[in-house]
Amino acid sequence: MIQGTVGVVARAEVLPNVFLMHLRTPEIAKRAHPGQFIHLACDDASDPLLRRPLSVHRIGRAGVAGAKAGIYSPSDRRESSSVDLWRPAEGEVSVLFARIGKGTTALARSNPGDALSAIGPLGNGFSFDPKARNLLLVAGGLGIAPLVALADEAVEREMVVTLLAGARTESGILPAAALPPEIEYVVCTEDGSHGRQGVVTGAVAEFVDWADQIFVCGPRPMVEALIALRISPTKSAQVALEEHMACGIGACLGCIVQTRRGPQRVCRDGPVFRLGDLR
Amino acid sequence: MTVSTLVSLAPKHDGGLMLKNPVMTASGTFGYGTEYAKLVALERLGAIVCKGTTLRPREGNPQPRIAETASGMLNTIGLQNIGVTALVREKAPIWAKWDVPVIVNIAGETVDEYGKIAETLEGVPGVAGLEVNISCPNVAAGRIPFGVDCDAAAAVVTAVRDSSSLPIIVKLTPNVTHIVEIAEAVVAAGADAVSLINTLLGMAIDVRAKRPYLSTLTGGLSGPAIKPIALRMVYEVAKAIDAPVIGIGGICTAEDAIEFLMAGATAVQVGTASFVNPNAAIEIIGGIDSFLREQGMKDIGEIIGVAQMGRRT
Repeated sequence: MIQGTVGVVARAEVLPNVFLMHLRTPEIAKRAHPGQFIHLACDDASDPLLRRPLSVHRIGRAGVAGAKAGIYSPSDRRESSSVDLWRPAEGEVSVLFARIGKGTTALARSNPGDALSAIGPLGNGFSFDPKARNLLLVAGGLGIAPLVALADEAVEREMVVTLLAGARTESGILPAAALPPEIEYVVCTEDGSHGRQGVVTGAVAEFVDWADQIFVCGPRPMVEALIALRISPTKSAQVALEEHMACGIGACLGCIVQTRRGPQRVCRDGPVFRLGDLR
Repeated sequence: MTVSTLVSLAPKHDGGLMLKNPVMTASGTFGYGTEYAKLVALERLGAIVCKGTTLRPREGNPQPRIAETASGMLNTIGLQNIGVTALVREKAPIWAKWDVPVIVNIAGETVDEYGKIAETLEGVPGVAGLEVNISCPNVAAGRIPFGVDCDAAAAVVTAVRDSSSLPIIVKLTPNVTHIVEIAEAVVAAGADAVSLINTLLGMAIDVRAKRPYLSTLTGGLSGPAIKPIALRMVYEVAKAIDAPVIGIGGICTAEDAIEFLMAGATAVQVGTASFVNPNAAIEIIGGIDSFLREQGMKDIGEIIGVAQMGRRT
């Protein structure tokens, strides 16, 4: 965990009102694991006061988004005239966020060359079951953000990955180019404008027997629906939670979630929890 | 040139609760200190005040617990804490090895509970003093906070004084008509120092849900938004009482802290600013030192209370 300054390398509105930002931060890129987050100050003023916790979307690190997986190599980069939108370079991490309130509006205005104050990487990330080979990733809306970093690492470990991604309409669905090409990408939209029609949890049953391990991130009703499926504990299902937080490091107790182990801090005890532990 | 920033929070007490500089971290904003150990050089702090501690563990309030507001935030954590027994077992031994005084903030639902918590902390290595939180509801008196009534506040202080030989700081709530009267009452009952202000009662409304945002409807406002109110109250209390005052409320920069010292505070606590910048208190310590040098001063005492108009010198 470090507190310091990160440089904005690139920023783009990749879906309506959804922004992707590449941040130059070798210390965080070196240490970050999928599921962890970065606590970013929105600007220097006191309004908005608090930092915004953004999960690590992709990590630019040899061996993660590395040349072996065909995702990135320094020579590819030199040939390209502009920054590769979807792939952070080595020493960078990317974040993906929706512009919702004052804080994310300020962040969405950041330009390449700007410096942002950051603390990270924070929290406990996802963990692989050593025996798992087939991974099912279930994303609701921007819950896809941390799961792409996880998919990168799984591909690197030569695991088989299916990512189910749900959104209300196609305007909330990332293009396949935003993901590692080795994975199976199944899209569900509530209005049927892209992929299958219906909520993403409706598609889970079809894949659950195949999967050795399941990773989830999305809005609370989606998480509730998955809890209701009573997935076998042998699948070691893990969920990354989101909650409003102030400090991000376990001191303020603002981001508590109730679990079978009592109240837990999303920022420090999570943000990744076992799905079966949530109440 | 060396500049002395040494202050005493309990001049009438054995040992005096001396701090190497007047900057502390405020209760509820710095956990048990351990949470920040990787990011902050803790030994450089004047003191750490730990999370409010009750007789038994408390799970706190339901979500949502925090709401960001203009230059501030509302919280309703509900005193979630591990309880005094676990604190003595798990946290105090860590503090005993640190080169920074740790003051335990204590909160009870009855006068008797305050006494029992103080008793449990008596003689525990690693505990340098007590900060008595009298903003919590008095169950015995029908959920009115002890801190809004002079007699109730004094009764709490007497109970703690009778059970403890540690220096006692009493943390005052600003949600009262006359804070000076409460300050005078607790000093008369034996408080070594007072700290103020705790959070101001406030509210935020979720306009889409059409209901108050926080689970408990109201919460405590903190952050830079409350600084002018805190500063005014510190000025008034410091002028009236003959005991150290610790200024708290929206302090984010060295200049903020110096304002409180000039208003008459002997020390300050940095609270919400630590959420945004874990090193806020450390940066403030450096900034105060620079200011004293720039002003050609040799001792922090030269600025304490200088802005009080008409004060005896």
